[in-house]
Amino acid sequence: MIECENLTHYYGKRLIYENLSFRVPEGRILGLLGKNGTGKTTTINILSGFLRPRSGVCRIFGQDITSMPPQLRRDIGLLIEGHVQYTFMNISQIEKFYSRFYPGWRRDVYYDLMSMLKVAPQQQISRMSCGQRSQVALGLLMAQNPSLLILDDFSLGLDPGYRRLFIDYLRDFVKTDGKTVFLTSHIIQDMERLIDDCIIMDYGRILIQNPVASLLREYYSYTFRMENPGPIGLPGLYHPTLRKDRMEVGALMPPQAMEALLRSNGIAYSDFSGSHVPLEDVFIGLTGKY
Amino acid sequence: MIQALLYKEYIKTRAAYALLAALLWGICIYLSLNVHRIAGIKGAAHLWEVAISRDAIFVQWLKFVPLIAGILAGVAQFVPEMVQKRLKLTLHLPCSCTASAGTMLTYGAAALSAIYAVDFLILNIALGKVFAEEIVSRILMTALPWHLAGVTAYLLTAWVILEPAWKVRVFNMGISALLIRLFFLSDTPEAYNRFIPILAITAAVTASFPFISVDRFKAGRE
Repeated sequence: MIECENLTHYYGKRLIYENLSFRVPEGRILGLLGKNGTGKTTTINILSGFLRPRSGVCRIFGQDITSMPPQLRRDIGLLIEGHVQYTFMNISQIEKFYSRFYPGWRRDVYYDLMSMLKVAPQQQISRMSCGQRSQVALGLLMAQNPSLLILDDFSLGLDPGYRRLFIDYLRDFVKTDGKTVFLTSHIIQDMERLIDDCIIMDYGRILIQNPVASLLREYYSYTFRMENPGPIGLPGLYHPTLRKDRMEVGALMPPQAMEALLRSNGIAYSDFSGSHVPLEDVFIGLTGKY
Repeated sequence: MIQALLYKEYIKTRAAYALLAALLWGICIYLSLNVHRIAGIKGAAHLWEVAISRDAIFVQWLKFVPLIAGILAGVAQFVPEMVQKRLKLTLHLPCSCTASAGTMLTYGAAALSAIYAVDFLILNIALGKVFAEEIVSRILMTALPWHLAGVTAYLLTAWVILEPAWKVRVFNMGISALLIRLFFLSDTPEAYNRFIPILAITAAVTASFPFISVDRFKAGRE
């Protein structure tokens, strides 16, 4: 559904990433995770056609984004960071406006969601809370009924209740109709409830691209006491952190392999433990806290 | 789709255009009433003499009003598009970006021109009751460049606001100021009569400028 090959982009002389390639298969929900400044929004902007990369190509539905016929955008739902919409319109006006562009417009889906908000059709969007606005944006996306959704930081500004509401509705919508979704969010617990696959970005590159289930299965967070405390720099270990004599480190290997690695490198240890952790801890373990 | 885009522009700008129309028409009515008041006190002959011998046009106060109205119309229409980069919503619609931007600009220029046309209608009817056709024509031809400046200012304001990069925006403002200056080089009545086609061409050419900004916005220039 989405294919990006060898994307390279700079802002001025600052390299954002080089030769970035990834694919999003049809019917999957892919989350793009990364710290601030790793290029998540840049990637969303390239995908939604609002940024020309320095080099490389992005295709959606097999079409190069830079030369995509406008009609193909009917099948791409775009949520702009902050649930941006035409706030000068009211609930009924905005539905009337968008419905003209999409032949498969599902008015009932939009109004079903609006009825949950208990707001009048004449309610101006600018006078709604951020949470209510997010539901309007979601209702419009669902009524558009695109086969691909691109969502930029969908949890921005939402309280936990609205975040949960947004995710539950979105998940039902995409799972029922087999939609493909490419999204970013700065709240990783939300992603964990929603996404099938994730790409974790580090500065200038993709650190990992995996199904979430396999990532959660393969990643362990280890702690052990070092007999001779000191820095360790072994391949396959992510961001080892030493606190007094206690080492904390993440790795994509099971405990037996980890212990074998330590032993083969002559690292004396005791009080060894390894455990699975939630996606947020996997993310921090792989990218580091700083 | 064009209808839907026009609908959006109408919802967004109807209050602003209503205010601008009230302002411009109010000023035209005020100026016309003033002429009628003087004619009532001093007689029409006095006004004719002043108009012919002293080159008075009686609507000098209107000079920069269409210009300001054009700028305000551009601000009212395009600032909401640039707040939170809302223009992305419009450009993501399944119609060509040129068609979307073109519809927005056509709507604004047409609405502004309609308001200006009523200005001329008010002045023509009101002044026609006091002055000879030649004097009314002289007044209207003097006011025409000011109104052309208004339409041009609207298009240039769109160009400036839609530009995504601040440095280029400042450059565009400078060019815009120079272009607008062309419309106000002389205070002499009918000084622009031969130059009006050039001004009209200038206005038409500036209509292409906002498309450059839209293209730069689409390319993600910052």
